[in-house]
Amino acid sequence: MKVNRRHFMAGVAVTAILPLARPVFAAEKGLIAIITPSHDNPFFKAEAVGAEARAKELGYETLVMVHDDDPNKQSELFDTAIARGANAIVLDNAGADATVAAVQRAKDAGIPSFLIDREIKESGIAVSQIVSNNYQGAQLGAEEFVMLMGESGNYVELVGREADTNAGIRSSGYHDIIDQYPDMVMVAQQSANWSQTEGYEKMETILQANPDIKGVICGNDTMAMGAWAALEAAGRTDVIVVGFDGSNDVRDSILAGGIKATVLQPAYRQAQIAVEQADQYLTTGATGKDEKQLMDCVLINGDNAAKLETFALTA
Amino acid sequence: MRDILTPLAILSCVLLPLAGCKIVKDPDPEAATTEAEQMTDEARMAAFAESIWADQVVPTVNESTVALPDLTALINTQGLDAAGAAHGLRPDGEANPWNFAVSGQGKIVEANTESRAAKLMVDTTADGVADVTVQLGPVVRGTALRDAMPFIVFTDFRDQIEFAKLARALNDLAHSAVALPEGDLVGRDVSFTGVFTMRNKGDKVELVPTRVQVE
Repeated sequence: MKVNRRHFMAGVAVTAILPLARPVFAAEKGLIAIITPSHDNPFFKAEAVGAEARAKELGYETLVMVHDDDPNKQSELFDTAIARGANAIVLDNAGADATVAAVQRAKDAGIPSFLIDREIKESGIAVSQIVSNNYQGAQLGAEEFVMLMGESGNYVELVGREADTNAGIRSSGYHDIIDQYPDMVMVAQQSANWSQTEGYEKMETILQANPDIKGVICGNDTMAMGAWAALEAAGRTDVIVVGFDGSNDVRDSILAGGIKATVLQPAYRQAQIAVEQADQYLTTGATGKDEKQLMDCVLINGDNAAKLETFALTA
Repeated sequence: MRDILTPLAILSCVLLPLAGCKIVKDPDPEAATTEAEQMTDEARMAAFAESIWADQVVPTVNESTVALPDLTALINTQGLDAAGAAHGLRPDGEANPWNFAVSGQGKIVEANTESRAAKLMVDTTADGVADVTVQLGPVVRGTALRDAMPFIVFTDFRDQIEFAKLARALNDLAHSAVALPEGDLVGRDVSFTGVFTMRNKGDKVELVPTRVQVE
């Protein structure tokens, strides 16, 4: 009886410890929260997957969450990360202004944030802000667009969500090139909020009012996919479409002779670098880098599209 | 409100021939505390570029200058990264390209001074083939001038938009510093100092000049 009870109790103790022990082993170095916009856009999914894979390689437990571009939801996710005792937060944020307070709150709680893709409008709060060189990338895309257009003709610009700095900077990069060509005429410029559905709807409407367009330049690939679908539906596959991001969808379209070009943001690698810098910071107390860092983008067209896979170019 | 108006304000400036001349008030009432904050990014960065041009930018280029043939030889024998480590300038961050400050001379083999993206094609190796493109502007490609300045750090700027406007303002100053003689330039000797970005070994040299002297 005594022996049996001891065995029983030992069994209870083991089963009680097991669930605790497992995360302790996995989380030898702690927990990294990875917060991005919705994974519906493969770009953000690639970020989350890249960050998670690197974090696990480096011995961290991960907590992957999406804010759906809602600053209130993002704020709640920060509370969750703080409550769970995260050691670091890797973030693609929900707004350059609105995010400042959340990152500050994490900092006050002793949790460093490492931002990717989008900047916030303050420095000195996050430890790192690693962003694609959108201006450089947009100029690459615009140069290709102008070349494809033969330096002349009517065109449409679909811009991203206004609250996002990347929408403004890409538009600015496009126009710093395109506006130098007097025969390039912009007949419509509308926001499609980074969305494929809105890209489709806006393109449909614009096309009715301006049937004489020759090209469409888009602030991201999902809007480009939407615009291309609308052009295809209207039998206007002669229209030149250029995107931005370097998604597999646009890669496939380029290879099939649809969309003509896009600009690759190294999203997968960028997310990994953020985790590496978080690890460096947690282990040594510094990243050894400037807070704000730019990563160059690469033009993708028929020449190199086949080498593109999940926001990275293979050798 | 500001998010809608800012791109419009930027656009309206971009469309003006001499963009720096137009000052549009920033419509955000919260930010309007000092005069500098009331200026557009474009006007503020133009003023900042002007303030550092003569005292910091031009001296930095002159101090870091390598003779172009020496640099080319070094890149050819030891590779771009070795040449970059020895003479290059680049901001922090993975895979950022090297920028080099160089001086050189040669013969103008082609001159396009009509285009908005005016340029001189210069042969510095006396083989009759142009090996340097001297960008005259007003359209000057790239951000080499900005990125070659060790004292210009992205973290000090609000965002990429402001930082991009600074690059453009510095390119504008490079353009306005160029004075060319009248007449046909092809066949004439030219000496230059300036900055260029090299991403891959063997890429064309597209120089943003701080000095161009046609003999």
